[in-house]
Amino acid sequence: MRYLLSCLLVLVCAAVAAAAAGSAEPVCMQCHDSDMMKPELRKIPGEWRQSWHHQNGVTCNDCHGGDPGDAAMAMSPLRGFVGKPAYEGVPAFCGKCHVGILKNYLESGHGKALKASGSGPNCVTCHGSHGIQKANIEIINEERCTQCHSYDRAKIMKQALFATEKRIRDIEHSLKKLSSQGISTDEEERALFRIEAEFRTLFHTADASLVRQKTDGFLQQLDGLQKKVDSLFGELQSRKNFSGFLLLLFAGMGVGFFLLAKDLFSGSDKN
Amino acid sequence: MWKTIKNWIEVRVGLDELVRTQLTEYRVPRNINVFYTLGFVALAGFIVQIITGFFLLTYYVPHPDHAFKSVQGIMVNVPYGWLFRLMHVVGSNLIVVAVGCHMLSVFFMNSYKKPRELTWFAGATMLLITLTFCLSGYLLPWSQLSYWATTIVTNIPSALPFFGNFAVTCLQGGQNVSGVTLGRFFALHVGVLPALLILLMAVHLFLVRRIGISAPPFGAAGEEKKPWTAFRHEDHPNGYPFFPHFVLKEAAMVMAFFALVFLVITFSPGLFLPEDASIPADPFKTPAHIKPEWYFLAAYQMLKIVPNKFLGISLQITIVSVFLFWPFLDTGKEDNMLKRGVLFGVFIAAIIGWAVLTIWGKYS
Repeated sequence: MRYLLSCLLVLVCAAVAAAAAGSAEPVCMQCHDSDMMKPELRKIPGEWRQSWHHQNGVTCNDCHGGDPGDAAMAMSPLRGFVGKPAYEGVPAFCGKCHVGILKNYLESGHGKALKASGSGPNCVTCHGSHGIQKANIEIINEERCTQCHSYDRAKIMKQALFATEKRIRDIEHSLKKLSSQGISTDEEERALFRIEAEFRTLFHTADASLVRQKTDGFLQQLDGLQKKVDSLFGELQSRKNFSGFLLLLFAGMGVGFFLLAKDLFSGSDKN
Repeated sequence: MWKTIKNWIEVRVGLDELVRTQLTEYRVPRNINVFYTLGFVALAGFIVQIITGFFLLTYYVPHPDHAFKSVQGIMVNVPYGWLFRLMHVVGSNLIVVAVGCHMLSVFFMNSYKKPRELTWFAGATMLLITLTFCLSGYLLPWSQLSYWATTIVTNIPSALPFFGNFAVTCLQGGQNVSGVTLGRFFALHVGVLPALLILLMAVHLFLVRRIGISAPPFGAAGEEKKPWTAFRHEDHPNGYPFFPHFVLKEAAMVMAFFALVFLVITFSPGLFLPEDASIPADPFKTPAHIKPEWYFLAAYQMLKIVPNKFLGISLQITIVSVFLFWPFLDTGKEDNMLKRGVLFGVFIAAIIGWAVLTIWGKYS
């Protein structure tokens, strides 16, 4: 009994504590976080920790190679360390994972310019490197595009992308809302991810007419998804109606019992 | 026909006498108040937890590969599965409120005093079991929230000397939270804890019935307090009948409790299911902000502000021990809290302290 009570005490007293604990980080951080590092290299861990890559578990070695668990071999070519890529090598560097996007980029004006002159825009020009955030349509903006050319064509393309982008964001928002109410949206999230990933490759063609041509196809796919989302919201509404009915039923019975009890107690007091 | 059946039972069981002695002629104090119904409300809540729990058990799979999906399946595919799960989740939180209020009212009315020390001890232990129920049930959906909250909780005893690491291994069944932990918590939640709770509830109810309901120390009681030198049943000859008077009052409160459950389910179904509860557990990805359930926030914040982890846990074990054994420590004769300035001050300070720590823990 004493042992049982001790176990219960331990369980109950050990109430949940501590704020976020970071997941295990690669050994690269030990040096890059230290004062011995140059300032421009020391800021990398901070940028990465705020990045979309970090949120999705993409760490140093996934891009740069090396051994993330062994400080001595972390930067060894024997463990696949490739370091920082040359400027013109960046698309191939990122394209190890972003295969579809690489193909569209290489066929675009941007990709051709880089190949021809070695100085056209590469991935980092628009997306940044270590602090990379989830891609969205706002990446296409006047300030960024006019670094190299006028904004006119980019603006036309952004307008062509806008409707689809907005539908994606709306459906994403709806799925989050459903998820927060305990509805599993795994299947719909995966479908949206597939559509979005395919749609993102379009961005990299930098071809407004192609975007317009393909937009209808994307909108049709999104319509199908929207129907599923709407039916889930319909289901939520019917649940709300049913539990609302139960709420009224129990509240009504509560009031009824209360009045009956009051009547009985006052009757007894008179007697 | 009905009369024949009733007569058949009457001859064998003596139902009329049972109803008369245990319900209609059984009297409760005249100054009894609404707080006396909270124990029955908690009992009704536990019964519904058992019923909804059985339903969930039919579809739930206690395995890391299937637990999350089975819970999602209950929410989406099983007819009215959402209702049973939400009643179980919301009900568990509101039971903590009901049991907590019941304990507070018993404390405030000094009803734990002689001869009811054991009744208090059984009730206080039931509160701890209720919290352990919540803790063990938290892991079962195998979501990000449940996985990481349990990881943190099960590692806390490591601060204890000598058997700290042993306690962690016992709880987790290994070096980290895994399928073994899920199995252990599942067994605890559906096997060990219900058996313990039912046993203690039986002891608690037996003691309440055997000793009799205590009269509140204030209000228009008009009953003389006799010293307890030998065992006797505390009668209230001028009181109200337990049935139908007090039972109707209890029924009204039970209905109010379930109306509250459905109020939450209707207008805020996600109140006790934060975002991380909708994401399957991923042992390789720690969520940014893991906070315990509201009833553990005060303890969580206390552990954070006490600089030494061992000291923090020791302090909490001391508080829980004092809470459990309080009737044996408080031997004063006066049973009206309003006439006990120091105790009343400590009581109010403890409630305010708990509220402050809870809010601090929530927003820290």
